[in-house]
Amino acid sequence: MTRTADFELPEEIDLQMEVANVGSRTLAVLADLGICGVVLLSVYVLSSLLDWNVTDWLTGFGANAVTIVLIMLLFATPWIYFFLFEWRWNGQTPGKRLLHLRVVKVDGAPVSWIDILLRDSVRPLDAFGPMALLGLLLIFVSRRGQRLGDRIARTLVIHETTIDWSIFDKVEEAAALEAPPVRLSAAQWELLHRFLNRREELPLEARTRVAASVYQNLKPLAAGTDLERSPLEPEPWLVELARRT
Amino acid sequence: MTLGTFVRKNRPRWQQLEQMITLMEQRSREARRRTFLQELSAAYRATAADLAFAQTYFGGTTVLLFLHQLVGRAHNQIYRSRGLSLKEAIHFFRREIPEATRRHLTAVSWSALVFVIGIMLGLSAVQFDERSATLLVPTQILDSIYSGRMWTGPIMSVLPAPVMSTMLVTNNISVALLAFVGGLTFGVVSFWILFFNGVMLGMVFKLCANYGLLGPLAGFIATHGFLEISAVVLAGGAGFVMANALLRPGNYSRRDALSVQARAAVRMAVATVPALIVAGCLEAFVSPSTLPIGVKAVVGLALGGCFWLYLLGAKRGKTVEPS
Repeated sequence: MTRTADFELPEEIDLQMEVANVGSRTLAVLADLGICGVVLLSVYVLSSLLDWNVTDWLTGFGANAVTIVLIMLLFATPWIYFFLFEWRWNGQTPGKRLLHLRVVKVDGAPVSWIDILLRDSVRPLDAFGPMALLGLLLIFVSRRGQRLGDRIARTLVIHETTIDWSIFDKVEEAAALEAPPVRLSAAQWELLHRFLNRREELPLEARTRVAASVYQNLKPLAAGTDLERSPLEPEPWLVELARRT
Repeated sequence: MTLGTFVRKNRPRWQQLEQMITLMEQRSREARRRTFLQELSAAYRATAADLAFAQTYFGGTTVLLFLHQLVGRAHNQIYRSRGLSLKEAIHFFRREIPEATRRHLTAVSWSALVFVIGIMLGLSAVQFDERSATLLVPTQILDSIYSGRMWTGPIMSVLPAPVMSTMLVTNNISVALLAFVGGLTFGVVSFWILFFNGVMLGMVFKLCANYGLLGPLAGFIATHGFLEISAVVLAGGAGFVMANALLRPGNYSRRDALSVQARAAVRMAVATVPALIVAGCLEAFVSPSTLPIGVKAVVGLALGGCFWLYLLGAKRGKTVEPS
């Protein structure tokens, strides 16, 4: 089940966005923490290589500096990472981008830096370590998938579907023909076009089976036109039908 | 109009809008042209109208889903807030943080009160029965007090001072952060952190007094103590601001009260970070040194004083509503 959030835009339109679900948000956080981990690990490895050269000419100071930088990085990386990315990337981190998630305000507006600061400062209470269980529970039960930090900062995380207009590519080819038009509902029209667009990718057996099923569904609509008694096979028949819509 | 005609007729416009948004998202130079903005505004409004049309006539279709996505992305880019400029950052530190603190001075006072009560309880607990200290004070510190030595001297410390200071800073920031965020637990965690740290301090003080270490202890604490305690009290106060919004939301719903007050609270919490960094460096470099206690106390008091002067005395500008 997907939950949607309704935003009312200044243009007086109700915009609906899909609220990100628990699974994708968990994966995004895991990806982010993974990236942090890899960065820290490589800094650690690099610093241990560097150590060999520094200790000689700075007698100890170099080793101290490396230790300090490591402690600071270990402490600050998760904070800086989430804050900087969500701020500079307009509500996205690499993990969120990977899963097409974005943080927005509850009214659909972009997040400001103070919102991000607020929602990220609550992470120890609902996102880091064992407390993540609480955050997951809250995301799960809350209507708009808000963890504690989201509620305070008045933000929510949406899932952006990738827009792929190419599924309507065949629409141009099927441009009108001088034949009596067949009236299809919007959903039926999409069914027809998505099949026609995808059929080349399907294995032959599935292609025939789906064509027959779509044909069964749309056949009654052609009543009273020249297609009604057409002797064509399901697939060519559907191509003909598309030219009459 | 059938869906076919609708898509056929408007698809070029939608794709144009999509390209323009992608350019904006990538912050391309192209997106800063004047004509670009005019085209964008036209394409956005037309697509928004298409969305409204599709909502009425083509419910439940993929086209509608895509239009929602497209308009949402465009809206997000068009109404995007500007990045943080240097001017705004300065304004944030010079005006917004002090103003948030002044508005919530009551919460800060409560936080200080809890801390002081903690200290007094710690003092009287050790006075009443010295063994009570074993409950809270780490054994390492206890042992060194019993043997009449300070646990803070440069010889005692295994770690070099710079490393020590970094660890102190990160630890103190974690404590302050928890005192702030703990406000969300209706203040229970904030209260506990303030109280616990107060009791610890009180116990250590009384123990040191019992074993004749009061002088060395005061010498150690004088430099960084005021600033560090001020920062923790301020963070606890920020936590209490949020707790107060939850417990007494007034005319707002709890959720609304919280999201309004949290904006002031986070400003107060931000102020603690630089203070704790300074305090941590002092604690590692200056506090264990053998400077006369008078010098240490003057430096410590001056720093603590500056911190509160900044928070309470900064020039009042025009009132800024929390954004």
